[in-house]
Amino acid sequence: MERAWRWPFAGFVVGALMGATILTVNVVGASSPVRPPAATGSFGEILHTPVLLSRTGEPVRLRYGFVCGVPRFEPAGGCSPSGSVFVRPAGRSEFTERSLRRDSEGLLAATIGAREAAGGFDYYARIDNGRGQSRELPGGAPAAPHHVWPIESWSRVDLGAARFGRTRTPDSVVASFPWGRGDHAAGLDTGREQSRIGPSAFDVAPDGSVVVLDQVNRRLALVRPGSRPAHVPIAFEGGEGDLAVAPDGTIYVLDASGTPMLRSFTAGGYPIASTRLAEQTADMVRVGPNGPLVHAYPSEMWLPTGAGAPPFAPAQQLAAAEPARRVGDSSVVVSATSDEAKLALVRGDRVAHAWAVRSAANLGEVQLAEPYGDGLLVVLRVWTEKRSEFRVLRLTRAGLAESFAVDRAEWAESASLSRFRLHGSTLYQLRSTPSGTQVATFEIGGKG
Amino acid sequence: MSRGLVTGLLAGATFVLLVVGTPAGAYHTNFQAYCNDSWMNLNPINRGEARNYAYSAAGEGYQWGGGCWNTNGYDDSPGDQPENPYTRGEGPDCSGFTFKAWYERAETGDPWFRYHYLMQNVHGPYTAADFKYGVGAPNMTVAKASTTFMDAFAATNHIGMIYWENTAYNQDRIIEAKCEACGTGTWPRTYRGNPDYSGVRRRYWG
Repeated sequence: MERAWRWPFAGFVVGALMGATILTVNVVGASSPVRPPAATGSFGEILHTPVLLSRTGEPVRLRYGFVCGVPRFEPAGGCSPSGSVFVRPAGRSEFTERSLRRDSEGLLAATIGAREAAGGFDYYARIDNGRGQSRELPGGAPAAPHHVWPIESWSRVDLGAARFGRTRTPDSVVASFPWGRGDHAAGLDTGREQSRIGPSAFDVAPDGSVVVLDQVNRRLALVRPGSRPAHVPIAFEGGEGDLAVAPDGTIYVLDASGTPMLRSFTAGGYPIASTRLAEQTADMVRVGPNGPLVHAYPSEMWLPTGAGAPPFAPAQQLAAAEPARRVGDSSVVVSATSDEAKLALVRGDRVAHAWAVRSAANLGEVQLAEPYGDGLLVVLRVWTEKRSEFRVLRLTRAGLAESFAVDRAEWAESASLSRFRLHGSTLYQLRSTPSGTQVATFEIGGKG
Repeated sequence: MSRGLVTGLLAGATFVLLVVGTPAGAYHTNFQAYCNDSWMNLNPINRGEARNYAYSAAGEGYQWGGGCWNTNGYDDSPGDQPENPYTRGEGPDCSGFTFKAWYERAETGDPWFRYHYLMQNVHGPYTAADFKYGVGAPNMTVAKASTTFMDAFAATNHIGMIYWENTAYNQDRIIEAKCEACGTGTWPRTYRGNPDYSGVRRRYWG
């Protein structure tokens, strides 16, 4: 009897172990997170919007917020931050320290006098969280500080009163997807008590193909002119991200998850490399003259990640970060509020040209600012409490050369600054409706 | 011998998969088993303290109908089925997160402040749509142009609080419980200029 049951019993034990292994892989393993360093570490977070552009002859106010790492009533919560800002006027080699003082709104602030700011300056802050820990912002300072460009003269553009609804119809639709999971569809992540999220981003490849980040289905959709969409599965952990295609066809995908990653793929979608980003939040990837650049927070610096493999490690990204986005031999600087959008083309410390855009309606985000001819092509939002649309502006050194309105077509959410791309003289827009999503085009006048 | 071994193997594997696998799949990580019901009433706190509280959830998970999280910086229960409260995962949903971060009370007629421990599993009585229309004694609608940090932008299906206003590209950094794949965190958003969203404020900040 004992012998008769020995082998079945041994089999049962081994089978049970196999079953447990399968469960571990499928239930625990598949759901186990990649465990990044805690985003909510005990230090907290420094908050700051870089000034970037100032008016010559005016003082510059630098302001910093601070978020404590642990709330007051959890064990050892609360904090009392303090700090300094370090300033280096243009042409000087040394930074000088200024104490930050709490202003009426509770922010840590310092004012740089008009004379000192006249030629532009670099700056960074060092904040102590009141618990003996301090950090610099930007993280690569003093090697890679923030910078302020002084502007003597601006091309002023007044958009006047917004007359909503007179939007331009797209010239063509180059890619179109119903919502879903199939070969011709694009994913929609929706439900009660959560955002309605469609494809995050898209870009146009050198051969004119449209590449769509269908992150809900964890894939890229490659739409070649006159062909059916091809799909390439990709690794993607977060809910949203961004995408940019380099002139050599390399596709860069920003995964804006809890630990932001940048992954690169060949034009056919084959994985090349990936790297973790140096900062905890990122919203844009664009391609600069030396490879991809990621716009990251809280510094709002542009982090280079390198075009080769392996890409730059986080410390290298911080050390080489720049305050403005490099495009060719220039950089584009954007500094906007709801009252005024300031834009500039700069070369090093020198300002090539600057524009100040105003509107009777509120100005929203600057969706796109790309060199175009001798100026910029800009897409920004104008809005009131009940209405909103995008305005496309062709800015030349003489001012506003062309302007038209575009329907916001944002039934589903994409990554916040990924709705438009410029390729030659064609402006592309990622649009969505309850039935699906599409990429539409608008031809721009003038010389791109 | 071999037939007995194979039969035993199959039986063992089937037993474990059925008996252990089914509940494990249904409850996934069952993070909420470690949560509690601890809170205390407070005098009014200020917006900065509320933002510190909200920041504790950055990097944690999203759970539809949920409300508790630790502060280890990652989602302990990723990949849960959306809109399924029985997955019992880590994190709040968007409206539950706002309720806790605004120190609100479960009694909708009471506008005063209550500290909910991070691991207290509470969602509160309001949906995103309720917040959008200013439902509840502590909540009111405001013009979006007049909002400041720790006010919120609410649509019928989502709400997020202003973490830091006016980035260089003129977005707002929003702190929000976004979606199961996104988790909870801070992201730059364009809700302010989107007419689907209304401005919402908690009354009586200290």
